[in-house]
Amino acid sequence: MAESDKIEYRPISVREALTEMKDLSEIMIDLAYSAALFNSHELAEEVLELEKRVDYLAYIIDMNTMLAARDAEDAKHLTAVITVAAATNKISDAAADIASIVLKDIGIHPIVRKAFEQVEERLARAIVKPNSILVKKKLGDLELAAKIGVDVIAIRRHLEWIIDPSEGERILEGDVLIARGAPHGVDELKALAAGEIKEME
Amino acid sequence: MALTEEHFKKIVDKLVFMKDTSELMIDLAYSSLLLNSRALAEEVEALENHMDDLHTDFELLVLSSGFKPEESKDFLGLIRLGVVTEEIADAAMEIADVVLRGLEPHPILRLVIEEAEETVTRVTVSKTSTLVGKKIREAQIQEETGMWVLVIRRGTWWLRPRPDTVIKAGDVLIAAGYAEGEADFEALASGVKEPVKQEE
Repeated sequence: MAESDKIEYRPISVREALTEMKDLSEIMIDLAYSAALFNSHELAEEVLELEKRVDYLAYIIDMNTMLAARDAEDAKHLTAVITVAAATNKISDAAADIASIVLKDIGIHPIVRKAFEQVEERLARAIVKPNSILVKKKLGDLELAAKIGVDVIAIRRHLEWIIDPSEGERILEGDVLIARGAPHGVDELKALAAGEIKEME
Repeated sequence: MALTEEHFKKIVDKLVFMKDTSELMIDLAYSSLLLNSRALAEEVEALENHMDDLHTDFELLVLSSGFKPEESKDFLGLIRLGVVTEEIADAAMEIADVVLRGLEPHPILRLVIEEAEETVTRVTVSKTSTLVGKKIREAQIQEETGMWVLVIRRGTWWLRPRPDTVIKAGDVLIAAGYAEGEADFEALASGVKEPVKQEE
């Protein structure tokens, strides 16, 4: 097993970190169920990547919250912050548990998958290759929602996560796009990102 | 004994219901914090107790399905998914517990949750409400108020609203939507007045 990263104290805004953690935990749950339903190892791996980030945030939030308490009254208020951060972390752990079911090939009964598959939207991961036409384009200019019915809900860039990226966000080579849309739309996005097709229909 | 389709449908329905319930609980729990609302926190608590029963029923259904040894891995996957929905429900309960224990939520928490535009509210349908006796489809709640009903509590039962579900007096409706619709929704359910219709 890989060695865990060391955690160093870093002064941060607890508000920003907790907002990020909450957003990530919600995306993780969506991704994890999708991974289970489509038996997708790719999506399950992304869930575990996100889990690392959430674990890191949980430590940093705890440290910063402890330092913020000056007296008993502060401690009382801040306990709520720590409890909520811990619960949010637990939600992300639950998502990681779903991902593990997929990665360990325990399997979800095929009939269940069939029942869930009627859901029209699905999530997918697309890795942007150097020869993809998406490279250096702004998300807003691509009009993915209008053209192929796909919404990019997050971008992973090395260790950074960009949640709900803005229209002005430029796609870079190596980006991992997490997208939501109709099955044929997400397949088209994957092909575009892989450089297999060069234009949108 | 071969697994009947009917039995399997029951298992899937139960799982979907547990998944939906656990997600509803998270929404409600965050909302209870945001509004420092005991009422919403109590709903989370009630749902948590309900979840425990659902989970036991679900596990019994899976275990009694008469699967073959070679299918056991697939069924383990089902059991594990059930456990996960329970974990999520527990996490929601921990969040709601902050409110139930009177730990006043720190202003930071309010800011974090407020970034979401949606709000969740609950109302009890009074005898005089125009909703009584109407099917969800006819009630036009979303059209009138912009709020949509997530779940209906009737005594100790929880119902998922379907177009054909008939609303009864005493039902507790839990709804989500944009904050502006909340007052209209409460007026509609409490029967205080007809909702204000927007003039076109």
